[in-house]
Amino acid sequence: MSALDPNERRLTRALYRAGIRPHFRWRELRLLLVVAICLTVGWVSLESFRQGQIAIGDAALLAVYLVALGVIHVAFVVTGRRMDQILFPTAGLLAGISLLVMNRLPQNLVVQQVGGMELPLGPLQLVWILLGFSLLAAIAIFVRSDGWLRRYKYTWAAAGIALLLLVFVFGSVVGGARLTLHIGPFSGQPSELLKVILVVFLAGYLAENRALLSSGTTRVGTFTLPPLPYLLPMLAMWGIALAIVIVQRDLGAALLYFLVFLGLLYVATRRAMYVLYGIILFLVGGALLYVLFTHVQDRINIWIDPFADPQGAGYQVIRALYAFGRGGILGTGLGAGLPSVGDVPSIPAIHTDFVFAAIAEEMGMLGALAVLGLYLVIAERGFRIAAAAADDFRALLATGLTLVIVVQAAIIAGGNLRVLPLTGVTLPFISYGGSSLLVNGAVIGLLLALSDRGVEAPPPGVRPNAVVRAAQRARAVGGRIEEALS
Amino acid sequence: MTGPRVALQKLRLHLRPRLQTHGATPALPGGLPSGPPRVSRSLLPLTLALAVAYAALAGGLAYWQVVQAQALTADPLNPLSLAAARSAPRGTIYDANGIVLASNVRGPNGERLRQYSYTIAAPVIGYSSATFGTAALERAYDAQLTGLVSLNPGDELLRKFRGQPYDPSDLHLSLDIQLQRVAADLLGDQTGAIVAIEPATGRILALVSSPTYNPNRVVDPNDGRQYMAGLQARDDSPLLDRATQGLYVPGSVFKIVTSIAALGSGAITPQTTYPDQPAELQTGFLVDGFRIHDFPRTVQTDHPLDYAEALEVSSNIWFAHAGLDTGAQNLTDWAARLGFGARIPFDLPTSPSQVTGGNGSLDGFQDRVELANAAYGQGEVLVTPLQMALVASTIADNGALMRPSLVDSLTASDGSVTRLEPQTWLQVCSFETAQIIRSAMQQAVEGEFAVAAAAKVPGVPTAGKSGTAQVGPNVAPHSWFIGYAPADAPRIAVAVIVENGGLGSQRAVPIGGRLMSAYLGVLR
Amino acid sequence: MDVFTLSLWALRIGFVLLIYAFFVVVARALWRDLRAGVAGAGRPLARLLVVGSPEGRPQAGTSIALDAVNSLGRDVNNSIVLDDSFVSADHALLTFRGRAWYVEDRGSTNGTWLNGQRVEGMAPLGYGDEVQIGQVRMRLERARPE
Repeated sequence: MSALDPNERRLTRALYRAGIRPHFRWRELRLLLVVAICLTVGWVSLESFRQGQIAIGDAALLAVYLVALGVIHVAFVVTGRRMDQILFPTAGLLAGISLLVMNRLPQNLVVQQVGGMELPLGPLQLVWILLGFSLLAAIAIFVRSDGWLRRYKYTWAAAGIALLLLVFVFGSVVGGARLTLHIGPFSGQPSELLKVILVVFLAGYLAENRALLSSGTTRVGTFTLPPLPYLLPMLAMWGIALAIVIVQRDLGAALLYFLVFLGLLYVATRRAMYVLYGIILFLVGGALLYVLFTHVQDRINIWIDPFADPQGAGYQVIRALYAFGRGGILGTGLGAGLPSVGDVPSIPAIHTDFVFAAIAEEMGMLGALAVLGLYLVIAERGFRIAAAAADDFRALLATGLTLVIVVQAAIIAGGNLRVLPLTGVTLPFISYGGSSLLVNGAVIGLLLALSDRGVEAPPPGVRPNAVVRAAQRARAVGGRIEEALS
Repeated sequence: MTGPRVALQKLRLHLRPRLQTHGATPALPGGLPSGPPRVSRSLLPLTLALAVAYAALAGGLAYWQVVQAQALTADPLNPLSLAAARSAPRGTIYDANGIVLASNVRGPNGERLRQYSYTIAAPVIGYSSATFGTAALERAYDAQLTGLVSLNPGDELLRKFRGQPYDPSDLHLSLDIQLQRVAADLLGDQTGAIVAIEPATGRILALVSSPTYNPNRVVDPNDGRQYMAGLQARDDSPLLDRATQGLYVPGSVFKIVTSIAALGSGAITPQTTYPDQPAELQTGFLVDGFRIHDFPRTVQTDHPLDYAEALEVSSNIWFAHAGLDTGAQNLTDWAARLGFGARIPFDLPTSPSQVTGGNGSLDGFQDRVELANAAYGQGEVLVTPLQMALVASTIADNGALMRPSLVDSLTASDGSVTRLEPQTWLQVCSFETAQIIRSAMQQAVEGEFAVAAAAKVPGVPTAGKSGTAQVGPNVAPHSWFIGYAPADAPRIAVAVIVENGGLGSQRAVPIGGRLMSAYLGVLR
Repeated sequence: MDVFTLSLWALRIGFVLLIYAFFVVVARALWRDLRAGVAGAGRPLARLLVVGSPEGRPQAGTSIALDAVNSLGRDVNNSIVLDDSFVSADHALLTFRGRAWYVEDRGSTNGTWLNGQRVEGMAPLGYGDEVQIGQVRMRLERARPE
């Protein structure tokens, strides 16, 4: 920072005169450049294969996306936020790969009417990515205090449960699971939003009580249990969320919530015993669910032997395995995999649950490993932010948000690879889906906001205006609700 | 594998100094009890757990994309084979002399169709149909014929860089279509099966199953469905490959298996005789209340038979004694060394042959009666013709059992040839044991009282064993023959069964003889 | 093997390799952070010197090292615990944002005072400024005497 080059100094001076205090992000710019080159090469390889000659085709989608990345970068610079510089390009690369894959899949998989225009899969995904990234940028730029998350944890928890109940009552059933909520023309999957709410609640609760949780004990016979009174509200929250999720048959979300819960509990208390109890709890619960619910049995049976019913229950999983096999080490190349019979893709739900198989087929093991590596980069940055966070709430929040993305990616990739039973969650930033992209954008946005080392001193003379006063009033009301709930 | 691991290592290295920084943060002022450890300290184990999880994912990727890639791609259910069939012609199948057995033609609507030049080869070659998928060799070598998989693993990487990703290979079979024709004609419209093997290599020379079907009609896009439905409705199961999947009572040909077990385990020697045996010819041999008889045609001798004589006249009583002496355990064990009890590793699907039903208390046998009966091929013994051909081949090859094979080599489109070398599958018995049985089997064809005399190849020393398998009252027995020629330097081993064909010596034995004569170029 | 096929494959493999190039750039950044982190480890951003504390927890004269974000309050989970009867559980936040320090009241009962004036929302402060929380008075000082 100390060694400004002459150009930068000149630019800085000009911006300062205009009342703007920029903070340059050369590292981010460099990474975004690599992303742009990478995606362009990918795009050309796809179009060349399609046209049988070296061509770039109609690259409007790619151009719009790359410009959007640039605009967000400039916005970060101009607002002078001193945030992490690696997270955003990483998310940008993941979403860019998504754009390539969605553009390559049969476009009629999803078609939606948007204001008189018919948008097929590729452009639709671009719209969602842009919305998700706008949310990311907005949160990263405008969120300066975590008080609104920290203070109202019970309100958040209540809102989350209300959201789930809403789905339970009004949700529509898609593919055997009651996941989708329709409000007017909009539809979405609230379980995506709930995961963030859960993390906020857990981070708040654990940060407040972790001193007691990690030192106090309750003795039951020879077992040393955590101090029960402090664990109960949290267990209840977890139990309710889990139960509803199971009623909704959303096993993937249940697994995700549970793993994130265990991870946060461990980080907050640093007691391996809690994790052990959690795993025992999980095994008992899993066995119970297996006995009680046929859809759980089906999932497990398919996992153990998908070839038992290759044309029925095991169809998707087997088709995914074929895709992995076809890919090999180098992959078939973008556009060259997936012999769709007619216009039907070889794997159902290839744009959502099985997008990892599609990537592994066309980009090979090398490409699939690279995608996994990108999630690990997110993990590294997230944990760094957590480690550098000055207070427990921020540290736990950063850890939880990171886990939500990284664990979810592992769950669905594991499901595709038959390392785990298949559960329907999205591959963050890559699977098609508006809810997923918006929420994951928000998660990265929050992580960026948490990584903020402070803005440059704002230009002087800022007085509370009407908006600020309104916000203060809203805070007072929120405080009262919170008091009533806790 | 390395990608995530390296990344994780960096991650760990990277987190550590941070953690230490925070660990070194000064304690709280004022002598207050310090709070719980910093959150950041617990991140390292969490990172490790994530590293393990992602390493498992990388392992999964490596398993499916490297280890299992070829097997998955070659799987007949893989939609890729359909796509490949659309984009590239299937490889041609040739017989041992380069005669085309299966090739491609254009159907009435311009689609690619398989054409089969010899319907008698249907049990071996099978079919490749858009409607019914693939069968037999067309199924076993589907991936190579469509070119999804090349036999050289190193090619897989380079193949990606070719414009045409499919590289169909031609198959060159060990099957001799002329011998196949002779065998099919010999069997005629009788129900049964014939297997002919080259003993030294395990190459299948002919494999006939009768009745069979016309694969050209199966692949016909217009009346394929109707024809198939008709085949499936028939009582005589023309779609069943009797040679590899038909299970039959073997009768006396099983005495060769008993011989291997008895001699191999030391229960008998070539000089072993049973003093009661001549008398039992009249009265029958009483085993726990069950009387074993010999056929009346068994030559009357006043002296107890030794091993070679017993095989020559095919004495059930003698082999029942020998079987009881050998014991249940030895009999099943030695049969297992011949491949009984498990699927034979072969290009076509096979049924496992059995010595006993296997749920009795006497090492699988119900009792001594079943054991005594099994020793001469009755009881619960069930065999496939392929298994019996392998028994003959083992003796002919002095105790070594070669792995049966149908494909000699594959030729890729660039002309490169991959040979499938003969492999020894099992070492069954010693050279000495095989020699004893060889001379006895030659005596069984050429001896004074030989039952299987009709198998004699003129001018060529011949060895063999006939069998008449009782399958029930009022039903004609199965007629069996196994043998090989020339007896001193075997070039062909055969197994012949004619279902309900009557006495072995009258039906199967002459067929075996003529087949071996035809192969050895001797006219009769 | 024609030129098109080869260049297509060069593009395909180049695409995947460029993702790995991304990793290389990230790894270089991390490596630099690591070295910078080691060099600057253990040096606090600034200090708070306790100038007055009638209840003695913390004692006057104590010097507290500051991170970028510091939470002050009576609760044990705060990064700086002020066990004074007039301090709220979560009282105030002291943050370094870029080139300046800010103090922010977290809805405390008795308020946060900067140089004798009650802090509304967030207020910037410089070295030498005095912050009062409950009965505890503290002065912001540079990490190293200059």
